[in-house]
Amino acid sequence: MPQITETARMGSTRELELYFGPQHLGMVGNFSITMKVEGDRILEATANPGYLHRGFEKLMEYRTWIQNFPMVCRMNVIEPDSMEMIYAMAVEKLAGLEVPERAHYVRSIFLELARVGSHLFGLWAYSNMLGFDTTAQWAMYHRDLVLDLFEELTGGRVYHIYLWPGGVRRDFPEGFKDKIVNTLHSIGGCVPDYDATFFNNRLFYDRAKGIGIVNPEQAKKFGATGQTLRATGMKYDIRKVEPYAAYDKVEWDVPTREKGDAYSRIWVIRDEMIESVHMIFKLLDAMPEGEVYNRVPNPFKWNIPKGEVYVRCESSRGELGLYMVSNGGDKPYRAHFRTPSYPHGLIVLEEALKGASIADVGNIMISLYVVAPEIDR
Amino acid sequence: MKWLKSPGKMAHKYSLHVVYFCTGCGIIEIPPVITARWDAERFGVVPVATPRQANLFLITGYVSVKTLKAVIRTYEQMPEPKYTVGFGSCPINGGMYWDSYNTIKHLDKYIPVDGWIAGCMPRPEAVFIAVTHLWTLIDKDMANGYIRYRKNYAAYRKNQETLFGELGWPPLYQESATSAPEAPSGHLPRSGDVRIKK
Amino acid sequence: MSNSLKGKLESTFKGVEMTLLKDTRAVVSAPKDSIVAILEYLKDKGFDHLALVSCVDWIEQNEFEIVYILTSYMRNNTDYSAEQWLHLFIKTRISRDNPELKSVTGIFENAEPYEREIHELFGVYFEGHPRLIPLFLERKYEIPPFRKDFDTRKYVKDTFDSIPSVED
Repeated sequence: MPQITETARMGSTRELELYFGPQHLGMVGNFSITMKVEGDRILEATANPGYLHRGFEKLMEYRTWIQNFPMVCRMNVIEPDSMEMIYAMAVEKLAGLEVPERAHYVRSIFLELARVGSHLFGLWAYSNMLGFDTTAQWAMYHRDLVLDLFEELTGGRVYHIYLWPGGVRRDFPEGFKDKIVNTLHSIGGCVPDYDATFFNNRLFYDRAKGIGIVNPEQAKKFGATGQTLRATGMKYDIRKVEPYAAYDKVEWDVPTREKGDAYSRIWVIRDEMIESVHMIFKLLDAMPEGEVYNRVPNPFKWNIPKGEVYVRCESSRGELGLYMVSNGGDKPYRAHFRTPSYPHGLIVLEEALKGASIADVGNIMISLYVVAPEIDR
Repeated sequence: MKWLKSPGKMAHKYSLHVVYFCTGCGIIEIPPVITARWDAERFGVVPVATPRQANLFLITGYVSVKTLKAVIRTYEQMPEPKYTVGFGSCPINGGMYWDSYNTIKHLDKYIPVDGWIAGCMPRPEAVFIAVTHLWTLIDKDMANGYIRYRKNYAAYRKNQETLFGELGWPPLYQESATSAPEAPSGHLPRSGDVRIKK
Repeated sequence: MSNSLKGKLESTFKGVEMTLLKDTRAVVSAPKDSIVAILEYLKDKGFDHLALVSCVDWIEQNEFEIVYILTSYMRNNTDYSAEQWLHLFIKTRISRDNPELKSVTGIFENAEPYEREIHELFGVYFEGHPRLIPLFLERKYEIPPFRKDFDTRKYVKDTFDSIPSVED
């Protein structure tokens, strides 16, 4: 006679604690969520960051201004160029450096290529999570074509060390403009295929519609920016709000959607990719000739006057900001990065997971576009 | 014919199953390795969901103190024979974060490592060179990280306890200095850090 | 707009001083007891985006400086004018020996992880915070690690380099 245990007699109205831990097939990045579930519904979720904490900002205080420059890009592994940009902007503002006109255009093209690459990586992660393996393989392959362009320009596939205070390190080599155009044509020519297999697919609609809804008041209350905010209808994009580099020299529009669920966020990502590609073509046409670099004073003995700045730019995930304080010395006194995944991964995620089913955790997490190293720094 | 002599070694070499654990920065070069362009599956390398099904542990990038706990538990759950490869310059000697208070500097003080791939980031071709090098080591019986773990388990465990204080799981191998190593004790490690909103 | 705001702030709260930096940034220094009231007043005036809560360690003056960076989201979807993007750095100084401050999570819910991080890395206690539990760190350090008197290189030498490697 089998023993009837106490828990079996209580029925299924009990709470369990589950760990969606770092070693999990549905987790992209080293991040962990602790969930209190009842049956299949999540009652409460707590995010556990800290697996990638290096004490970046403390390490930056031990290195000079120019020594920090190769370190900063390693904060966001998927799109390191926006980190380089924000550091260069902050140092230029503190030191009063001017950037030549051509460098602004080169920077914008570079950042838009990085945005395309980062969105393709996000598309790989998301479609792999949902089970659309074909789209995932295509997205990764097209991202590799973009990384080939980066390798020719800067020498490295992932970490570029290219944008630095005063401009960019070197100009485009011979024939590079045609290479960019050919690569983007070959990626853009596949957009109908992507639409047919993934974006217009009825299965994607069923899996993502109504999942992880964030309405406009909640988004503003939690400090959300980027796709999470634009999918609720607000056209808030730092490239339009506080233009930097050459973004105010070309005509472009900010794509938005209405509903605020995972479906809208992924469609906003797709529209942004297409908008970036058009922007690169326009920038390539409008680019002036000239220098790309203004010499900084001896970078090994560079003292920056006292002051503090807060600069911001639009990374592929949202509003990226840097609050930097200088004490007149040759090292930063305090650098604090405001990364876009911080509110998304710690506050919006916990709110969006309430009442969701366990099967949708990966779906919600990746559609909120959380990058774990950005949270921990 | 070489493979007829040791079909066991051939089976270990040509079907290295990697545990899917994104440890650090290096995870950015793993999706290109396992997808269509650089295709690791022609080498037999395929990612699997749980450590119980895996025999290769690729530690991609720096290891923070919190991650090291998860890494040790994952490593102890893998069945033998198992191989570990450190990917990137950070597990070798701390790399770029040599003065950080939260990352460990030498990975082979805590778990045994069979090979290292240098670079920041290493290219996908470097992963394939490492895999073919690992095949050579397996052929020559030099990829013996798991045997060293069993033999020197007391020293490894002492290092882990010096770093963490009290470990939340019992020792994997029972103490027996001179007799043949016994089978693992079979305890499932308990989970440690819990943060629940009260 | 920034000048009128300066007049209103300085007349409503005592001890408050607003300095305009260039490029739509302004510094508001306030005593620590009026921070909550100032943030509530500014939120009513339309500053609804708390971008960052940061902490700077001025060890020579034996003080911490807590900085709240406040700006606004868009009023409507077509207005991108620069006047809206005034960023206010609201700063207050607290003593380094007994650092305590009132939490602002009642007004801005998204200040919660920022304050948790400052508590963990600098040792500042926020009254009224719903959960001041560790966020990133796995262990307790004698001196909170982001303070200027915590020497990371010495800590690395003592903790990590003292562990012997396993000889084979």
